[in-house]
Amino acid sequence: MRGQTHRLATGGLIDRARPLSFTFDGKAYTGFAGDTLASALLANNVPLVGRSFKYHRPRGILTAGSEEPNALVTLRSGAHAEPNSRATVIPLFDGLAATSQNRWPSLAFDVLALNQLASPIFVAGFYYKTFMWPAAFWEKVYEPLIRRAAGLGALSMLPDPDHYDRSHAFCDLLVIGAGPAGLAAARAAGRAGLRVIIADEDERFGGRLLAERHKVDGMDGPAWADAAAVELATFPNVTSLPRTIVFGAYDGGEYGAVERVSDHLASSLPGQPRQRLWKIVARHTLLASGAIERPIVFGGNDRPGVMMASAVTAYINRFAVAPGKRALVFTTSDSGWSAAEDLVAAGCDVAAVVDARGSPPPAAERLRRAGIRIFEQAAVANVAGRRTRAATIIDSSGRAHTVAVDLVAMAGGWNPSIGIGSNLGCRPSWSDSANAFLLDTPPRGMTPAGAAAGALSLADALASGIAAAVKAGSEMGVTIAAEAPAAEAEPASTSPPHPVRGRPGKAFVDFQNDVTAKDIDLAASEGFTSVEHLKRYTTLGMATDQGKTSQVNGHAVLAAATGKTIAEAGTILSRPPYLPVAIGVLAGHHRGRHFRPERRTASHEWAEEQGATFVDAGQWKRAQWFARPGDRDWSDTVAREVNATRGGVGICDVSTLGKIDVHGRDAGLLLDRLYVNTFSTLAIGKARYGLMLREDGFVLDDGTTTRFAEDRFFVTTTTVNAARVMQHIDFARQVLWPELDVQATSVTEQWSTYAVAGPRSRMLLQKLLPAVDLSNENFPYMGAAEFEWMGAPARLFRLSFSGELAYEISAPASFGDRLVRALFEAGSAFDVTPYGTEALGVMRIEKGHAAGNELNGQTTARDLGMARMMSQKKDFIGRVMANRPALLDPARPSLVGIRPKAPDARLRAGAHLLPEGVRPVADHDQGFVTSVAFSPVLGHWIGLALLAGGPGRYGETIVAHDPVRGSDVAVEICNPVFVDPEGTRLRG
Amino acid sequence: MAEHIHITRRDDLGIATIMASRDGNHAALATALGAGALPPSSAWVEGADSLLIGIAPAAWLAVTADAAPTWAHTLAGRLTGHAAVSDQSGAYVVFRLEGPGARTILQRGASIDLDPKAFAAGSAATTVIAHIGVIIWQIGDAPAYDVAVFRSFEASFRHWLAISAAAL
Repeated sequence: MRGQTHRLATGGLIDRARPLSFTFDGKAYTGFAGDTLASALLANNVPLVGRSFKYHRPRGILTAGSEEPNALVTLRSGAHAEPNSRATVIPLFDGLAATSQNRWPSLAFDVLALNQLASPIFVAGFYYKTFMWPAAFWEKVYEPLIRRAAGLGALSMLPDPDHYDRSHAFCDLLVIGAGPAGLAAARAAGRAGLRVIIADEDERFGGRLLAERHKVDGMDGPAWADAAAVELATFPNVTSLPRTIVFGAYDGGEYGAVERVSDHLASSLPGQPRQRLWKIVARHTLLASGAIERPIVFGGNDRPGVMMASAVTAYINRFAVAPGKRALVFTTSDSGWSAAEDLVAAGCDVAAVVDARGSPPPAAERLRRAGIRIFEQAAVANVAGRRTRAATIIDSSGRAHTVAVDLVAMAGGWNPSIGIGSNLGCRPSWSDSANAFLLDTPPRGMTPAGAAAGALSLADALASGIAAAVKAGSEMGVTIAAEAPAAEAEPASTSPPHPVRGRPGKAFVDFQNDVTAKDIDLAASEGFTSVEHLKRYTTLGMATDQGKTSQVNGHAVLAAATGKTIAEAGTILSRPPYLPVAIGVLAGHHRGRHFRPERRTASHEWAEEQGATFVDAGQWKRAQWFARPGDRDWSDTVAREVNATRGGVGICDVSTLGKIDVHGRDAGLLLDRLYVNTFSTLAIGKARYGLMLREDGFVLDDGTTTRFAEDRFFVTTTTVNAARVMQHIDFARQVLWPELDVQATSVTEQWSTYAVAGPRSRMLLQKLLPAVDLSNENFPYMGAAEFEWMGAPARLFRLSFSGELAYEISAPASFGDRLVRALFEAGSAFDVTPYGTEALGVMRIEKGHAAGNELNGQTTARDLGMARMMSQKKDFIGRVMANRPALLDPARPSLVGIRPKAPDARLRAGAHLLPEGVRPVADHDQGFVTSVAFSPVLGHWIGLALLAGGPGRYGETIVAHDPVRGSDVAVEICNPVFVDPEGTRLRG
Repeated sequence: MAEHIHITRRDDLGIATIMASRDGNHAALATALGAGALPPSSAWVEGADSLLIGIAPAAWLAVTADAAPTWAHTLAGRLTGHAAVSDQSGAYVVFRLEGPGARTILQRGASIDLDPKAFAAGSAATTVIAHIGVIIWQIGDAPAYDVAVFRSFEASFRHWLAISAAAL
């Protein structure tokens, strides 16, 4: 029990049988199960927990909730460190270790507190005023300085070792907040059979019932809350989510929430995530999120020991902690008087109660009779001491009284927690009766209830919760019992924000961003008179607490400075998240190599066994090359794979190409309209190369299409465009020509396909498929056949991307692994070599085939030398737009080959083409290099390029200018088909 | 706290996409498939030798156990004139998730309402789990579900499944 000097002897909702050890800044303390870090620190008389952002003023614990602006600590250490954790909502666990932040070198002695002496430069707009000039100083000097001086907690910079999960939920009624209004509503709706989700950021349901002394239905508040929570747990139609923050409202009744699954534990249980992101879709929502007490703006109101009155009651009643020995209460609302009575009941001295108003509630009389000094129509003008020592009271006649106290409880009225209510653009309006901004026009499906709706007394809150549930039920056709739990209607009147001005000492409005009342006056006098400008100029409400305690006070000060009412000054809207959300929980499992799902072909495992290096092609993992012992580097490997294929036989997995079955009576007709060339005339058992345009006349994609029956075509696409072409076909058949009888479905995943290329490919396949006649006569170039292999359907196509005699063989993907192994077994006699996408690319460049680099969305069929493919006899998508004059301009860059004049010169893709002897400026630019490769066949680099006036310029010499890598290479323009231009090999 | 779940991969299934012809008679197609009527894309029914799962307007996935690799080809023959049939036997891997944890785990993955009031035995959905397209159909009240995933995504889907099952 060492040091729990401020723990009350009895009471509280803590478990005194379960003491817990923890450390703060390395010093050991003890607390009890049921404590928060803040309550345990207060029990141990640790009032100083942080330093302020700008002035490094010592700060203590202001609140007992998630609105806390001061008590920000770094929880845990190393990779698990979580900076900016609010001590007020960290449930204590055994072994908890927290450190203060924003101080250097130590919390007690902060060198940078000297900023206070220089405070004139830290006034409103200081970022803009002080650091505007000289501009170069900003990055080098000012920014690092500000970051070190004013930075909040530091990130560990280590990978987050925790993991995060997500879930989805659907309900009739989402109840945000499990205080009296929320619990009453959820229980009534649950009893009526509605699907209910009730979420509360606290680990224990009850809200203010846990912090105050009230009876509900004759039971103590916490006992009633426990009973309600237990009953909710028995309903299969009710989901209770404690430790869950609903952080945002989105369209369609969708809400985002974070469940803190393991944060209350020393470490996550095996398999359990640290936090879970919930997407909740609700037909109706009760915003029963309570209200946050407003501080009062007066001099020294940020001293450690100045605390919200509602926090004082929470520490006394819930945590059995006296936050001070001798207290002063400064209130503008009836709830402050309850705090005074709670202090008295807890055995604390109450030096005085100061009410800015003139007609205090009955509690005043009780306290007066108990000998407590009462000041009406008075104010606290200043609090003195690094840690609260004394307070100056100005009584109704203007006389000053100084009292020695170590605790000042302030009660400035209540701001309903309606933050997420304005996420969708609904603007809160000022209520003169509630003295707060209320959500008069909530978003569709949302009803504020309880204190969030301005119903501040317990009886009103309960009635409001039930009424909101009944209303939501009736809109869904469900009758909900309208009887509210019984409770007393305690005095709950408030007054508008009541800044105490014209006195010495800094009077803080925004504690976390160190914005004072003077800063707001200054901003107003400089013309920043709109709440939105004020916010950005002074940073009011822009800290991690999003101004929960400060925003309305700031707007009240602005209203006073500009001679407006608070209603006229207005308030701001809030965006999600309502409370800070870790990026990790939004990412969930999708991080590192699981950032997005990956797609593996059926030969993946086999390729891994072969030592493949993989490359990403969209989501696909493709074998890039297969290094062998003796290969000097990857280019050596690729050259070996090309030579082995062109000289013998190589095999490459081409399963990633998009594949689409296009079936139906009108399939041929549809394909005629999709492709520039004709497919309705294609013979059964034949394949044809086709080119598709977009509606704007540029090339969409290319590939081969095979006809297997009168009404059955098999379309292939490039790997990257598979989904786009599928959409294009569906759009054409469903929207453009719904009258056509065409069915289309993706079969990309169905077929594993291997290219078998090279002069010995026929021999290899003949060995694998002895029953199929592969002779040139029976199975010529562009032939295709269906047959069975190992009892499964299989297909063979005589297609070639490499320019060699080549085939593509397909089996269902479930047979893909067996097929690749069988191919290599059959090929062992022919010295078969696996090749990857790099060798595939080299061979296609050697053959001048356009691929992704050339099909770049900016090229036409004409640019790629395929103008003659465009049928004149039929219409097709893109035909009209492809004939726009600018696209027919012969000066448009079009496809050519290039080779270096010096045989050992290296070409670079991306280099720009310039005439010889001109300055390398954009005016002289004639095109650029799209693809390059070292050709093992030719023994030098080759390239494809898009060049103005291209094919008419074969034999010319130009310069490939590469300013990025700094080379100028003289190249000769040539035919893009470098190898076997007559095509004798592939027809052999 | 941990909810029981049993996960198995169903192999050797025959799977085919069935898309009705433009002017096809759905009643005749249903008869040819041995079903009373064809389901909408939110449900499945039992056909003569396969489950028929609605996946889109006038499109179904037919799934049958212990099928010969050429089953879809045979089916195509039976449906000539009524529908286009594409063999997808190799395209999907199908996982069966059974036990009380099955609903929880799928609800963590799929942003559709799997409460028995909204999704029960006989229901089907084409949706997304962990950025991976899935077809889910509920086969029993236990509950038990089948989840079909394109084969290339199997490793990524298994990663999600394993990590989610550990958190039950």
